[in-house]
Formats: sequence, C-alpha cells, structure tokens
Amino acid sequence: MGTAPIKSMTSRQRVLAALRREPVDRTPVCNPTSVATVELMDLVDAHFPDANRNPVLMAKLAATGYTELGFDTIMPVFSIIQESSALGCKMQWEQKDNWPTVRMREPIWTDVDDIKVPKDFMKHPDIVCVLDAIKLLRREFGDEVAIVGKTMGPWTLGYHCFGVEPFLLLSLDDPGKTMLALERMKEITYLFGLAQIEAGADALTLPDHATGDLVSAEYYKRFLQDMHTEFAERFPAPLILHICGRTVDRMGYIADTGMAAFHFDSKNKPQESMETVHGKISLVGNINNPETLFSKGPEEVRAEVEANLAAGVQMVGPECAIPLQTPIENLTEISRTVRDWHHAHPHVH
Amino acid sequence: MAELSDIKNATIRAEVEEFVTRPEEIARNVALFTRAHERMQAIAAGIIDGDDDLVDKLTAEALKAGHEALEIMDDGLIAGMGVVGIKFRENFIFVPEVLACARAMKAGMGHIEPILSASGVDPIATVIMGTVKGDLHDIGKNLCIMMLRGSGFEVIDLGVDTSADAFIDAIETHGAPIIGMSALLTTTMPNMGKTIEAIIDAGLREQVLVMVGGAPVTQEFADDMGADGYGKDALACVSLAKQLIEAKRRNAPA
Ligand code: B12
Ligand SMILES: [Zn+2]
Repeated sequence: MGTAPIKSMTSRQRVLAALRREPVDRTPVCNPTSVATVELMDLVDAHFPDANRNPVLMAKLAATGYTELGFDTIMPVFSIIQESSALGCKMQWEQKDNWPTVRMREPIWTDVDDIKVPKDFMKHPDIVCVLDAIKLLRREFGDEVAIVGKTMGPWTLGYHCFGVEPFLLLSLDDPGKTMLALERMKEITYLFGLAQIEAGADALTLPDHATGDLVSAEYYKRFLQDMHTEFAERFPAPLILHICGRTVDRMGYIADTGMAAFHFDSKNKPQESMETVHGKISLVGNINNPETLFSKGPEEVRAEVEANLAAGVQMVGPECAIPLQTPIENLTEISRTVRDWHHAHPHVH
Repeated sequence: MAELSDIKNATIRAEVEEFVTRPEEIARNVALFTRAHERMQAIAAGIIDGDDDLVDKLTAEALKAGHEALEIMDDGLIAGMGVVGIKFRENFIFVPEVLACARAMKAGMGHIEPILSASGVDPIATVIMGTVKGDLHDIGKNLCIMMLRGSGFEVIDLGVDTSADAFIDAIETHGAPIIGMSALLTTTMPNMGKTIEAIIDAGLREQVLVMVGGAPVTQEFADDMGADGYGKDALACVSLAKQLIEAKRRNAPA
C-alpha cells in the first residue's frame, strides 16, 4: 500500500510491476493460461482448431483478451500441446468447441534414452505458429499490453510423452531415472521459452501439473523445486508457474523458487494462499471456472474477484484455461469489478 | 466384539489405526481383518504397500496352501484395496501410490482370475466405463476402474474420448447392466446427457443403469440429465455401482 498516488500505467507496465510486486495504479487482470471462448472465436472469425495452428488467427483470437475482455495481458497459446505436437506426440486437434489434446494413451517414449528433441523441433509449424503470433502481436500492440508466452514444464511434458500413468509409476519406482528424464525434458522447456522471449514475449507461463490432486507436496519438493528455481534464474524474463488443483500444501516451496508469480486454482483460498507465500511470489487467480465463470452470473464473479482483491492477490483472473462456452459478460465483469474496487479503495496499490 | 488390537498383522493394524477414521469404516475393517486368515492379511498388507512382487508370491503360496481363490480375492486383495481407497480419499496417498497398489492387485488377480473363470464364479456385474467424447482426462476414471475391479466387478474400459456410439456398441456387445461416464471439462459434460439420449434412442435405456462422475459433475447435474447416480470419488463409485445393481436385481421380475 502506498500513499503517493501512482501515475496511470499502461497494461504492460501494470503487469510487469505486479510481477515484481511493485506498486501498481490498479490490480492487473490477466489469464496466464487461455481466454479463448467460442463467442470470441465467432466475434473475430478465428476458430479452433485453426486458431491453434495459424499464427494470424492465433494472434487475432488472443488479442480479444485485451480488446474485448479488458484484460491487461494477451496470451496466444490457448492449449498445452504445441511443443508436444512438435515432439511427435499423437494429436487430436478437435473442433471449434474443444481444446486440442495429446493422445496420452499412445505415448512416444518409454525410457529416458528415448527422450530426443527432433532436429527441426524449432522449425515445426506448431512451434513457429506461436513465435509468429507473438511477433504479430508485438508489432500491433507495441508497449501497450503485456504479451505472455507459454512453455510447458518437464513434468507435464512427461505426462504427454510417456503417458500419465507410466510417468507417475516411474516416479515411484525409479526416482533417479525420473530426475534424469526431467533434466532432459527441461531443455525443451528452455528452447521453446527462450524463442518466445526473443520473439517479444514479456513473460512466460510455465505450466507443470504437479498438483495435489495427483501427487504429494513432497513430490513437488523432491522433483521440481530445484528445477523451477533454475528456470527462474536462467530465463531472462519473469515466469508465471501454473499448477491447477489443490496446491496450498506446496505453495511455500513454490514461493521459494524465485519465480515471479504463481497462477493458483480456486481450490485454494486467496487469503490462506497469500499468507502461505509470504510475499515471496506474486499470486495470479483464482476465479473458479466450472462453477462460477461457466455456470453462474456476473454477481457471483464479482464476489470472487473482490475476495481476491481484499486478500491482496497481485493479479486477478480465471484459475486456468477458461471453459470455451464461458459467457463474455462474466469475463468482462472481472475487469469491471477490479476497476470499481480500486475506485472504492483509492489508497490500495 | 473384535477390537483393533485383535488384528494379527502389524502392518494392517497400524494402517487401520492411522488412516481409517470414520467409525463405520473402522468397524468394517476391524471385523474383516480379525476374521481374515493371517495369510490374507499379509496379502492385503502387500496391496497397501503397492508391492506387486510380494503379492504375486503370497497369492501363489496361498493357493498352494489350499486357500480358495474367492477367499484370497475377498479377504486379501479386495480388503487391501479398500484401505487404499480410503487413504487416497483422505489425501494420505496420491495417484502414483494408488497406481502401484493397483499394479499389485493385478499381480494377485493374475493367479485368481483363471481359477474363477474356470470354476464359473461370476463377477458381481459387468460395468462399462469411459471418458466422454472430446475429453482426455482419465486418471480419475482409471482409479474408479481399479476400485471396481478391486471390488469384484468386471470392467470394460472404453478409454477416453468415447462417442455415444461406442457406449451403445459396448452395451449391446457385453449386455452390461451398468455404464459409468467420466468428464472433467465443462465443454464435455453435456456429452454425458447426449450419450444418455442416444441410449434412449437406441432403445437400451431400460436395460442399463447410468452413473456419472468427474470433478465438475454434481448430483444436480446428474439428475438434470437423467443419470441414475452420481459418485464423488472412486469409493463412492463402487458403492454406487453396488447399490444400483442391488436395486436392479431387487426390482427385476422373478
Ligand atoms: C491432470 C489434469 C490434466 C492432465 C490430464 C491427464 C490425464 N490423462 O487425465 C493434462 C495436463 C493433460 C490436462 C489437460 C487439459 N486440461 Co486438465 N486438469 C488436470 C487436473 C490438474 C487434475 C485432474 C485429475 O486427474 N484429478 C485427479 C483425479 C483422481 O480426480 P478426478 O478426475 O476428479 O476423479 C475422481 C472423481 O471425480 C471420481 N470420478 C471420476 N470419474 C468418474 C466416473 C464415475 C462414473 C464416477 C462415479 C466417479 C468418477 O472419482 C475419481 C477418483 O476419486 C485438473 C484440475 C483439478 N484439480 O481438477 C485440470 C482440469 C480438469 N483441466 C482443465 C483444462 C482446462 C485442461 C485443458 C483444456 C488445458 C488446455 N488449455 O489445453 C486440457 C484439456 C484436455 C482434454 N481435451 O481433455 C480444467 C477444466 C475446466 C473445466 N471444467 O472446463 C481443470 C478443472 C483445471 C481448472 N481448474 O480449470 N489436464
Ligand atoms: Zn490448469
């Protein structure tokens, strides 16, 4: 909280300041995962699955987060599969009304020695698409708005390339081998992430699904905490770790990684989460997707946004990729509530 | 009445004492494990430890020593899986550990299944399970399947991204009395309702009971789309399946 009034900021300045936990003119609104909805696709005539594979459509759909929803970030990567596609995973691109996915039942790797990055990985169309979309967005929006890229962490890449169950069993049977696999896969995270920063991304979301719904907090500490710390040190841009589901039991570990922010799920209470991270990391979240944004109305959205603001959550937005059928009015309500709240609380920065 | 301290196997005793907290579950487990033969308790302990080699060995030994396949399944394998389900529900263990327990269960069943099918012992019922069209989340569904199998059901797993037609084909092929659908995405939840409609259109609704589950699914949603039951977790899935099948058998014309 500051006493001196803060000069009005651009969306980009606001987001970058919040990522550093510096004073802001108002809390930024963002979704580090995806804001794509069917309604937005129709609005700008950029539909799934093409908007996941064609840079012009990808940029067009992503821009609606800023232009239509009033968010402070633009996130062009709507899915979590661009790099897995480039690695050779079996893909299901789906239709307009569903996200593309990897067929994890048909894994491409069974052993650490199978882990290989194809030579033309960075030239794969699904990688280039993201890089080109970021460039297009940077050109169009200049310094106005924060452009956030997305690079998958090694744990989630493990689900995609080894299959969830084989990967989780490996982690129990052979922790050493699992570590080695993660070490090798983390290079994929770097390659794709660095290229996005070079293309103009201001920050990166790094999803790595070591969630309490699947594994223990001990697991996070043992397998990922050091690696996430290394990511935070090596990437020349702020990182936003994304893990949906129950995570409050591991937020203390996450806060110690030096990542700029953690994107947290509504299964964790804002106040309790803020107390757990102790100001060591910014929190982003945590409006509930299925029950609130998708199924309820603006009034309920408003209440959740206000709970986050009251708790001092640094950036407010949905907890994960928003359901594709979410009504736009629920999404615009997020930015509206944030603006109203700051009018009513002028001294809170 | 049997007491916790009457359970002979130290691992089982400690597990029940530490992880089972609901009074009715304590009573059930104490009754079960004080009655079960020590060999069965050891098998159950092997399941709880997720030790497939041990369960493999102990199951083979128990058969050799003359124990009935059914006894080993009920008092050893299923009994152990029951404790696993409770530990998972209460967040004492997580998915990797449950997967290891399921692998141990499978090792034991490898010995039991051929005997049961040769002797014509029927499973409780056949359940068809699948994640609905457009959805690839299957961890929860797979845990339900493990617990169902671990409770004596035969399960036909249709995998992920299952179309209504695939459910219908499976109902026709296997004549199963129950299907279970899983969905984790709000975008795919409506496909549960659509599948139910397709089952009605195919004229099969009368012969099959429908249960649904998955994180975003609620009892209310299940009622709205005309499902016969909703289960919150894998243990609930098993008790729901048992309940549905009992009710069906009770109501069936004699
Ligand atoms: C792991 C996970 C993944 C993995 C899936 C791996 C796999 N093979 O299953 C990966 C990383 C690949 C993934 C991908 C995606 N995911 Co995801 N994922 C999750 C996560 C973190 C955990 C789900 C899980 O496995 N839980 C553990 C299991 C044990 O619990 P469960 O599934 O609920 O099952 C239990 C009960 O529900 C019940 N049950 C389940 N089925 C049934 C069936 C019957 C009949 C019964 C009785 C009971 C029952 O018993 C189970 C055992 O107790 C959740 C967040 C969360 N906390 O829920 C998000 C979540 C489900 N994912 C989400 C999203 C958005 C996605 C993506 C679209 C991301 C993207 N942008 O691309 C993709 C879509 C993939 C697709 N098309 O299906 C959202 C869905 C929002 C919504 N409701 O619409 C969630 C809720 C995150 C969030 N907070 O928003 N995901
Ligand atoms: Zn998520």
